[in-house]
Amino acid sequence: MDKKISLLKIFLAFLYSGLILLGGGYVILPILQTEIVKKRGWLTSEELTDYYAISQSLPGLIAINISILTGYKLRGVKGALSAVTGVTFFAFWAIVALSSVITQFTSNNYVKSAFWGIEIAVVILIISAIREMWQKSIVDIKTLVIYTIALIIMLLTNISPAIIILCSIFLGIGYKLIERMRGQI
Amino acid sequence: MISASFLTLLHIVKEFFQIGLFSFGGGYATLPFLFNLTQTYNWYNTNELAQMIAVATITPGPVGINVATYAGIKAGGLLTALIATFSEVLPAIIIGIFVSKLLKKFSDNFYVKSAIWVLKPTSCALLTYVGIKLFITNIANLHNTIGYILFGTLLTISLLKNKDPLWYILISGLAGIFAYKLGIINFS
Repeated sequence: MDKKISLLKIFLAFLYSGLILLGGGYVILPILQTEIVKKRGWLTSEELTDYYAISQSLPGLIAINISILTGYKLRGVKGALSAVTGVTFFAFWAIVALSSVITQFTSNNYVKSAFWGIEIAVVILIISAIREMWQKSIVDIKTLVIYTIALIIMLLTNISPAIIILCSIFLGIGYKLIERMRGQI
Repeated sequence: MISASFLTLLHIVKEFFQIGLFSFGGGYATLPFLFNLTQTYNWYNTNELAQMIAVATITPGPVGINVATYAGIKAGGLLTALIATFSEVLPAIIIGIFVSKLLKKFSDNFYVKSAIWVLKPTSCALLTYVGIKLFITNIANLHNTIGYILFGTLLTISLLKNKDPLWYILISGLAGIFAYKLGIINFS
């Protein structure tokens, strides 16, 4: 990277991403795809999906994890702290501001009706996120097999995602080791 | 509201740090932990927890942060809320920076590359699983023709064009308000 990205710019990019993040952390992928990759060109689409996959396998909130990884990549520890402060800012202050009127707020019919629509948009954004991840992760028959097996296990059993991710890492490394021993790489 | 005692603050730090450290799979994974807190402390009750979740989904930012903030306010006020939120994020900061350093140093390492190779399709599967769940709760259970039309239209647009996430949120939010004004949806 030839020119350093300012910490303020990192903070503002994540501040905005945190503001429009509604309906759960999974939607962070299409948001960062727009804000960090397309608009600002700070990361490649490939890097972002790598970070997303890693974020899902770490404890804690996905939106927080991916912000820390991205911020660190841009400006080290300071970048990570700027990003995480930005993405949590509105989440914190919106609740503080609304805390005394929370019952009125949640029972307001305009709020309810707007959110009735936004819940539909959240599904669209998740579908975009799946398409984005699919293009970057399902590249051959092997990755398609991993995807299909993991999805079937999640749909049919109650095994925690953490266990499934852990098992997949061990099996994946094991598979790659066997492949290497056979001299296929 | 009485200010939280020092002991309460210590409990808040301990509990929310644990939530940040042990919850895998996003904000909703923190809910069982938050439910358990109602059994041990009197910071908030189960009714308030249900309300917190409703608020968290319609306010900006990660749901886990919203809930931690709200739980902190209920337990003691603004300072407690700040401490609860910070405690929940702290494990992620420590682990995230550690992992970033590893990635920087070992990005060409065989094991790191193999792990990322297998993580990506698994992560995509997890996202698909969440998508299916959300589709069932948000769309399939809608029982509203206008809702289905809105979903179909937005989906078609998203497949044809690259629009900002904000665009979908604004359009659908406005559509919801119009639908309410025209009496297509009602809340009674």
